[in-house]
Amino acid sequence: MRKGLYILSLILLIGTIANAQFVGKDGVSKALFYLQKPELDSAKKYIDEAALDSTINNEAKTWYYRGFIYKELYKSKEKDDKNSKYRLEAVASLSKLNKIDAKKEFTESSSKMLNYLASTLYNDAARSLAPETFQLAEENYAKFRETMLLSNPDVELKSQDIKFKLALASMLNQHALQGNNLDSSKIEQVKSIYKEVLALDTNNGSANYSIGILYYNQAADIINNMDYDMDLEKLNELQDICIDLFLKALPYMKKSYDLGYNRKETLIGLGNIYHGLNDEAKEAIYKKELETLDSPDEK
Amino acid sequence: MSNNQLVKKIAFILVGMFFIQTGFKPAGSIDTNAKIKAVFIYNFTKYIEWPKSYQEGEFTIGIIGESPLYSELTKMTQTKKVANQSLQVKKFNSTQDISKCHILYLSKDKSGEISSVLKSLKNNSTLIVTEQSGLVDKGAGINFIIKDNRQKFELNKTNVEKYKLKVSSSLEALAFTVK
Repeated sequence: MRKGLYILSLILLIGTIANAQFVGKDGVSKALFYLQKPELDSAKKYIDEAALDSTINNEAKTWYYRGFIYKELYKSKEKDDKNSKYRLEAVASLSKLNKIDAKKEFTESSSKMLNYLASTLYNDAARSLAPETFQLAEENYAKFRETMLLSNPDVELKSQDIKFKLALASMLNQHALQGNNLDSSKIEQVKSIYKEVLALDTNNGSANYSIGILYYNQAADIINNMDYDMDLEKLNELQDICIDLFLKALPYMKKSYDLGYNRKETLIGLGNIYHGLNDEAKEAIYKKELETLDSPDEK
Repeated sequence: MSNNQLVKKIAFILVGMFFIQTGFKPAGSIDTNAKIKAVFIYNFTKYIEWPKSYQEGEFTIGIIGESPLYSELTKMTQTKKVANQSLQVKKFNSTQDISKCHILYLSKDKSGEISSVLKSLKNNSTLIVTEQSGLVDKGAGINFIIKDNRQKFELNKTNVEKYKLKVSSSLEALAFTVK
């Protein structure tokens, strides 16, 4: 309801300004005239002229209306385009506005537009979380971030960043696990995203657990693919590589354990890692804890 | 919508997505240690020569006791042969059940039965493989050990040759210790 009133009052305001100022003074006036008709393509033509006109392109209203017109163009023509150029142009115009609107004349309206554009960028980032389009998801998320900060430089986005990275890594990991063999370049990519999460929050259970599993899986995959015919020198060489991977998995899985994350899976992971390390005593500790967890008394 | 409201709404959606898409588990369908042992055991067949009478028919690997190695070796029999001999794996419930086999694997939980294994295999040509420290001094031909988290093996050449088996010098070179 409030949003509707806001849009209505804005259109009335635009109409008033256009009627008063048109015909044919500057690009902004012409653009507003066509905006109220509404003929968005013509409005775009004149607002773009205004943006290049040195007599008015340092005025806040030029960039405010340019942001508004491009936002409307996005809504009417590119709403389903996750890579909408109109939307980016709207954000760019409002960014310019932020820099020159010293009187803060348009701050509130601009902030509402930015929030709206940010929410669409976020939605498109989420919708693009697929193996074929994840780069677009990253771009839209980065743009979402940038737009949110334009709207409010103090907004807290750390937890959003973590959640987005976790969702991205999880999706890419699912994709990498398809097929018989692990794709090592994809696994490295997933690992680095999880490490980015840990750079933001060292106590993130999901990222710690997932990195532990990724290292473990790499070693298990090497062993799984060993040919029984492999000569013993090669076997020893691969054992060295696998032990190194198990040892890399260990601190992450231990951290997941300390954090109490995903208790059952973490206990299985720790047991498997110690099994890979041929450490029966430690494997037994975690297996016992898992049995206790699974026992009817615990449930 | 305020910044905070927007962020909260977004947080909710992403949390939902995250839980939908998480949930992968360790690729733990294989026993990593058993697979490595199976590769070792297959290699032993290449470095040890059995008498002529053992070079015909099926090549048998026997196991006493519970071990994940049984299923791993069974998997191996589906794709591998020893020279022209097809492979088979037999599980023996007790030392009394032991029949002719080329390799006998004594699992750790049955290590205490080494003496009766030796008695059962008297006059046979069987490579006895164990996984308990000290058994290579009690009659085993090969014993798996752990060194720096890695699986290695000890070789007691005398114990192996007692069963009319010939050991290649290459295997001696690959053993962690040779007695």
